[in-house]
Amino acid sequence: MAVAAPSALAPAVPPPVRPAAGSALAVLGRAGRASWRYAVALAALVFALFPILFVVSASFNPLGTLTSSNSLFSRVSIGNYGDLLTDPTHPYGHWFANSMFIGAVTAVGTVFLGACAAYAFSRFRFRGRRGGLLTLILLQMFPQTLAYVAIFLLLTTLKNVFPILGLDSQVGLVMVYLGGALGVNTFLMYGFFNTVPQSLDESAKIDGASHGQIFFTIILRLVAPILAVVALLSFIGTLNDFVIASVVLTTPDKQTLAVGLYQYISQSFSERWGVFASGAVLAALPVVAIFMGLQKYIVSGLTAGSVKG
Amino acid sequence: MPQVVIAAEPASGEPSSRLRRDSHSTLWTKGFVAKLVLLAMADALGLYGVIAAWAVRSWPILAVLIPALLAVNIVYFSRRLTPAKYLVPGLVFLLVYQVFVILYTGYAAFTNYGDGHNSTKADAVEAILAQSAIRVEGSPALDLAVLRDGDDYFFLVPDGAGGALIGSDGEALKAAPGARLEAGRPVGLDGYDTLSLGDIIAQTAVITAMAVPCSDDPNDGVLKTPDGAVAYAYIPTLLYDEAAGQLTSQADGAVYADSGEGNFISPDGTVLQPGWKTPIGFRNFTSIITEPSLRGPFLGVLAWTFVYAIGTVVLAFAVGLSLALVLNHPSVKFRRLLRSLLILPYAFPAFLSAMVWQGMLNPQFGFVNQVLLGGRWVDWLGEAWLARATVLVVNVWMAFPYMFLICTGAIQSLPAEVEEAARVDGAGWLRTFWNIKLPLLLVSTAPLLISSFSMNFNNFNSIYLLTGGGPLAQPTDKAGATDILISFVYRLAFGGVNRQYGLACAISMLIFIIVAGISALGFKRTKVLEEMN
Amino acid sequence: MRRSLAVLTTAALAAGLLAGCSPSDNPPTQDNSSAPPPVTATITVWADATRTPIITAMAAQFTADTGVAVDVVQRDFGSMRDDFISQAPTGQGPDVLIGAADWTGKFVQNGVTVPVELKAADFSPVAIEAVTYDGKIYGLPYALENLALFRNPALAPETPATMDAAIAAGQAAVAAGSAKYPFLLQTPREGGDPYHVYPIQTSFGAPVFGSTANGYDSSDLAMCGPEGQAFAAYLAKLGSEGVLATTMTADITKEAFVNGESPFIITGPWNTADFQAAIPDVAIEAVPSAGGQTASPFVSVQAFFISAKSANQIAANQFVVNYLGSKQAQLDLFKAGGRPPALTAAAEDPAVTGDPAMAGFAAVAEQGVAMPNIPAMDAVWGDWGNTESALIDNQGDPAQLWDAACASIKEKIATS
Repeated sequence: MAVAAPSALAPAVPPPVRPAAGSALAVLGRAGRASWRYAVALAALVFALFPILFVVSASFNPLGTLTSSNSLFSRVSIGNYGDLLTDPTHPYGHWFANSMFIGAVTAVGTVFLGACAAYAFSRFRFRGRRGGLLTLILLQMFPQTLAYVAIFLLLTTLKNVFPILGLDSQVGLVMVYLGGALGVNTFLMYGFFNTVPQSLDESAKIDGASHGQIFFTIILRLVAPILAVVALLSFIGTLNDFVIASVVLTTPDKQTLAVGLYQYISQSFSERWGVFASGAVLAALPVVAIFMGLQKYIVSGLTAGSVKG
Repeated sequence: MPQVVIAAEPASGEPSSRLRRDSHSTLWTKGFVAKLVLLAMADALGLYGVIAAWAVRSWPILAVLIPALLAVNIVYFSRRLTPAKYLVPGLVFLLVYQVFVILYTGYAAFTNYGDGHNSTKADAVEAILAQSAIRVEGSPALDLAVLRDGDDYFFLVPDGAGGALIGSDGEALKAAPGARLEAGRPVGLDGYDTLSLGDIIAQTAVITAMAVPCSDDPNDGVLKTPDGAVAYAYIPTLLYDEAAGQLTSQADGAVYADSGEGNFISPDGTVLQPGWKTPIGFRNFTSIITEPSLRGPFLGVLAWTFVYAIGTVVLAFAVGLSLALVLNHPSVKFRRLLRSLLILPYAFPAFLSAMVWQGMLNPQFGFVNQVLLGGRWVDWLGEAWLARATVLVVNVWMAFPYMFLICTGAIQSLPAEVEEAARVDGAGWLRTFWNIKLPLLLVSTAPLLISSFSMNFNNFNSIYLLTGGGPLAQPTDKAGATDILISFVYRLAFGGVNRQYGLACAISMLIFIIVAGISALGFKRTKVLEEMN
Repeated sequence: MRRSLAVLTTAALAAGLLAGCSPSDNPPTQDNSSAPPPVTATITVWADATRTPIITAMAAQFTADTGVAVDVVQRDFGSMRDDFISQAPTGQGPDVLIGAADWTGKFVQNGVTVPVELKAADFSPVAIEAVTYDGKIYGLPYALENLALFRNPALAPETPATMDAAIAAGQAAVAAGSAKYPFLLQTPREGGDPYHVYPIQTSFGAPVFGSTANGYDSSDLAMCGPEGQAFAAYLAKLGSEGVLATTMTADITKEAFVNGESPFIITGPWNTADFQAAIPDVAIEAVPSAGGQTASPFVSVQAFFISAKSANQIAANQFVVNYLGSKQAQLDLFKAGGRPPALTAAAEDPAVTGDPAMAGFAAVAEQGVAMPNIPAMDAVWGDWGNTESALIDNQGDPAQLWDAACASIKEKIATS
């Protein structure tokens, strides 16, 4: 194995660029002036992706160990994926659908609540406005590590009155997530809202539009990019949360990907690494797909507004 | 600038011209009707909640719901209070779900909540009594029939001589002539109904509470049944005096009195388990200050926590910004694909990433040493400073895609004339970047950086999963080289014999105050908020 | 099978299953009609993923027999103990919980479980010991789980008499080039793995706690003293010889054994299937002694607990004690879980004794000791494991390291 190391490093530092070499080198050669940019990108890709290659490799390894195999893809089989999708006690299909549902609803709700608040902060002058915005961000800094006891207590109390908001309800979980809708997201949107010229509002107001019409029919359309960004951030955050989701959702059929996957490995003597890894790989796909779809918004969206102040 | 102006201009003409065309009174009506319908729904839901909460006697919910309902109606029917109309929906969720958590944590910080102090005093008494009852020595398990006469319940048990005995709660067993037995098992008695298993289960509360004295001599014990089919004779070793709120030992007469701190305690200091949850004032906070195992390593841990949180943000920001700058050039092909691949670390669950890294950093077998370093032994997580550096690198790996996203957006929105002006002045690329671009970028990203700092300040999971706080200089040390404040203090609160939830809450509150205070200062400094007025 | 279970259960209910009464065929508390009774109550059971399907299947029969519906809720095993402790007082917890018997002390300390009436003589003594706290029995044990030595006969044809003999045989195999590691034992550095090392420790006569008639004694930290120091020195010796290393994590040791890279590994029944697939003639044996005394692994016992806050105490008792305590139920649980039953009658059934792996583990369990179920055990793991890691890494004088661990643990127990 020691012999393998130099050869693994070799392609990264090739003294002469030979066009006939691997495809990455060919790109380098053709790209001319931008080649150093590709070198940086390649280095970043290696840094970003080599741990992930491990996960992918483990997901195809029938023995199902995650960390001990340095010969990536030494054994390849799709057995783990088969097990993943057929295990009745770990209903992966349900988890996937649940995560998409909870993530999507939370994202939409977060965007709506956050946009409303950002509009208020951006377009109206009222007492406590500055302090209010700051407070929203500071409140989110509360360490969440212990929140599970309070959340549990809250939902058991709510369940007596509003059963749908109680434990083991996906709607209840979405509501908990929406509790965090105002915060740094509001700030992000607030900055962007500020870049939409006030003159637009003024002219619409002269035309007799109410503040509601201005907000829903004019402003929201113009800030679509930031809405996409916040939606994506909220979606990823929801998808990756397992602390709160594992408190709220207890029935396997109702659980989310993160909770279900965590249970694969939380037992001390788990032998399910391979299945777990395949589940994580599949779970990452929608995030990437959504990101690729939203990218043109996101590239133009994030913090674009704050600069203008 | 170009970004926004391009986006704004085509749209700006369109809606207003539409407004002019449409009859604006119909629109107004539509909006008003929509508002009315929504409010009516909210009110209906709220009223249902009030009624339901009243029905189940849920006073806390009533106390929140009624004012909230009033506030919502005032806000939306008022002609003024316009900003509130937009803030209220989010605030409702914020108050119910986030502020409640903080308030509850704050309350629990003043209690002894934790192992051994887990519930109410009544529950504690019940548990103590159940645990202290002992089986009468040599007494048999008695087959049992549960009988009913009107609202009264009776135990019918064999007397060991072919007959049966009957008794009820507090009324000693006596002969039951004429009882029917089948194969030695009592099944019925004239004048009484015999309960089926279903009946017994339906009356669980009554029947499990029954204590039928075996005889008039208390030393013979009382019959109780756990399953409705068999009865056992027990002698209670403790008696509870409800009026005095204390327990008395039947054996030696020792009195276990309420200590005022959530325990029954005897004069000789014996404490009964379990205790109960009760307020204990500032004790959790003072014990943080006086706890010697906390004081020793505290400053070192606090310093590292700052290094870790600030270092993660600065490094991840630097990596993300560099990549954003490099990949933002039109000459780079496959930009979309490259960006998508670079956010992959963000798309995997963090707990998985931490575990993968831990495996890859195994000094003997890990991928990093074996494959990348040709089998060299580097103990990445085993030596204090190296472990700190490694933890930072791994955390940067998890955090840089977020910064990359932010910076990609921020760069695009930099005014183009800035660069042109600099170029005209003959300023070099580096100077332009350092003196003009970076400050502009920092202003726009500062709020996100500060909130990222606060997240990493409390990034319990990443430390816990990667190093568990280690390495330890001595195996019995209270704090390891990579312990951040929250992992260190939670181990103190939860790592002993008892999990001290109240103490952990007190620590959480203090950490919150520290982080929020620093962040508030940070916001002041960045002038982000100054621009608002 | 289902039918016989039904008959047996009815009989068990009728007989009360317990002491001193002659069995009868007629359930006295039910009418004799064959129609199933209407559902009168529902009990909620928390189970982990492995046991949920089997409990659900068995519960169907129980419902048909008694009219008590059973709602099995699948929970994450890792967080079940603490979730139960925090949720039971709210009345939102389950009626019945499947868990590890070493949780007993924590449950009693928090008042969340109630004693049960069992005929202790019917169960394996170590199982009863595991669910007994302060002289009372708090759960129904149903399965035993413990470590054993797996031996690859191709690399080591002989059962080793002592640990040193095993290591010598392993080193010979390494020298001959047929193996890579003389002996496999998972000892990850972070937190160590005192559970896996424990058989070696007990063979030096250094159990964690001393015992009284009422069970383990938290005030008697028996691992401290010359026996413990001797064990510490031995561990340091194995570390310096390279037999043990803190780089050996669970999956590394497992993969090495599967690949035939070592003749020996100490591990548990969770790896049996993978090992048997790779090495069909793999032997399961007692851990050889290193210090001269019996090498006793911890026996962790799986048990059913009844919540103190259950509103259905009677139904829960019927389900746990009378139904799951039956031989057939314990055999069904064995088939699903692959661990030797705690009920002696079930453990002696040919279905169990005929399985060589089970017989191997059951034989080792005979010389095992119950995993301590006292709350003080929570204060032991951290210092204990970290110190073992430091010993294997030779980070100081073994006796001093060990004494420091003892002092720290004693202090934690004393200040609780």
